[in-house]
Amino acid sequence: MNKQRQTSNGVKVVSIRRQFPLIRSNPKLAYFDNAATSQKHESVLKAMDRFYRRENAPVHRSVYELAEKATGAYEKVRDQVRVFLNARTREEIIFTAGTTASINLIVQGVSGLLKKGDRILLTDMEHHSMIVPWQAAAIKEGLHLDYVPITAEGRLGIAAFRKLLKRQPKFVGITHASNVLGTVNPIRELIRDAHRAGAIVLVDAAQSAPHIPINVQSLDCDFLVFSGHKIYGPNGVGVLYGKKELLERIPPYIFGGHMIERVTREKTTYAELPAKFEGGTPPTAEVIGLGAALAFLRKIGWKHIRKHENELTNYTLRQLKKVIGLRLLGPASAADRLPIFSFTLAGVHPHDGSALLDKDGIAVRGGHHCTQILHDQYSLSGSMRVSLGIYNTKNEVDRLIIAIKKVQKKIHG
Amino acid sequence: MDKYDQEIYREEILEHYRHPQNFGAIIKPTHVGSSENPLCGDSIILELSIKNKKVSDVRFRGSGCALSTASASLFTEWIKGKPEKTLKNVSDDVLFQLIKAPITPMRRGCVLLPLSALRKAINV
Repeated sequence: MNKQRQTSNGVKVVSIRRQFPLIRSNPKLAYFDNAATSQKHESVLKAMDRFYRRENAPVHRSVYELAEKATGAYEKVRDQVRVFLNARTREEIIFTAGTTASINLIVQGVSGLLKKGDRILLTDMEHHSMIVPWQAAAIKEGLHLDYVPITAEGRLGIAAFRKLLKRQPKFVGITHASNVLGTVNPIRELIRDAHRAGAIVLVDAAQSAPHIPINVQSLDCDFLVFSGHKIYGPNGVGVLYGKKELLERIPPYIFGGHMIERVTREKTTYAELPAKFEGGTPPTAEVIGLGAALAFLRKIGWKHIRKHENELTNYTLRQLKKVIGLRLLGPASAADRLPIFSFTLAGVHPHDGSALLDKDGIAVRGGHHCTQILHDQYSLSGSMRVSLGIYNTKNEVDRLIIAIKKVQKKIHG
Repeated sequence: MDKYDQEIYREEILEHYRHPQNFGAIIKPTHVGSSENPLCGDSIILELSIKNKKVSDVRFRGSGCALSTASASLFTEWIKGKPEKTLKNVSDDVLFQLIKAPITPMRRGCVLLPLSALRKAINV
């Protein structure tokens, strides 16, 4: 087993692990909760620390040198995100507090363009952050929500999706990849079909962003959102990409300073993009930290990330399948699949399982992972989830398998 | 809660999980309460038969983790035979004392699930 460490990927992963302070200083920890939040790269922490120590100033306001520099650093990250997503223009990149904030902004904005009785199409594998805002908007605006079911294999029901498109939804909200099943949806085709049906399409890329390169022009999505903290960057910052003409059509979400053009006693006119959606003082250090995370990913390169994570996915699937009493949710094959593995152990409650794995230094998630609708499809109230990232290794997966067997023995006696 | 220094997943707790005491239903209960833990979806139904102001029988059913099941098992044992008025003043600490282990904030709800069902059953 140790021989695997000597491949070129293995050498690289050892070096990558050293670049994450929390991983480096906890050699006994196997951190397997990356779908919830990733650990932070050294360069992210350094960039944020340097900003607060030497470069801190309000962005977009003042004209003294320090403030000009802070504004420059903040806006440079917008260009980095544009490149990361291959957006057409930098004005299409809006900084938010995270994926949830991005989705709320879109739902508020788009629901204002809809009329009573309009349909919204979501899927059974959406995170609560997609479902709950739309349910609230549906009550307020009199909208109807439809949900695309999943197949027995844990993939999206494409035939059902096409059938539901015949109801002519005005909006389709769909995740690029499931945070529970690991399933990567055929997003380009789904977007194409939804557009043919006349819908606006939002892609939730919170899970895919750390694992798969994204090209918004080639996907042709109308909106795409992701979070900084899942791509080795800081909490409290996220991205909303939107096509310019749509962002210009929808109203602002947060009203206040910076997002204005002119304020009089009578009325306010709003600023141009992207300022229109960035009211208030932004999380400047977090945006700069996000820039460092993007630079790190660029340096490692998608080729390595894809290769390393595909190997991990294949390996983990093979090992999990050997465990008696383990039921994997989601696809059993590694094709179009992220290194996210949710499962149940017969007779073991997910919270007991994760608490016991923790005793062996293995951090996994137990619960419904903000997807109660999806768990209902499996008649489960929860599952255990192992989600891997750039710094995880096959040796850690081996430790997991041994620890799972220990848990089973302990619980069943 | 430093005084409770035993291991959560010790054999005594796991035995209560594998073979819970007072698991099931009462044919004609005088009091019924149910509770759910929104964090994990665990649920419990607690049934009591109170005769002459004393608990003559108590049963529970539902689905839960080892901790909530063991807590319900131990707590129903504790409840049995108690005067009705004692049940109106049960503090959280009674359950932590039965478990005898340090409980992290995220798992307090597991231990307290049967108590919340009891409070609903007797309208406290």
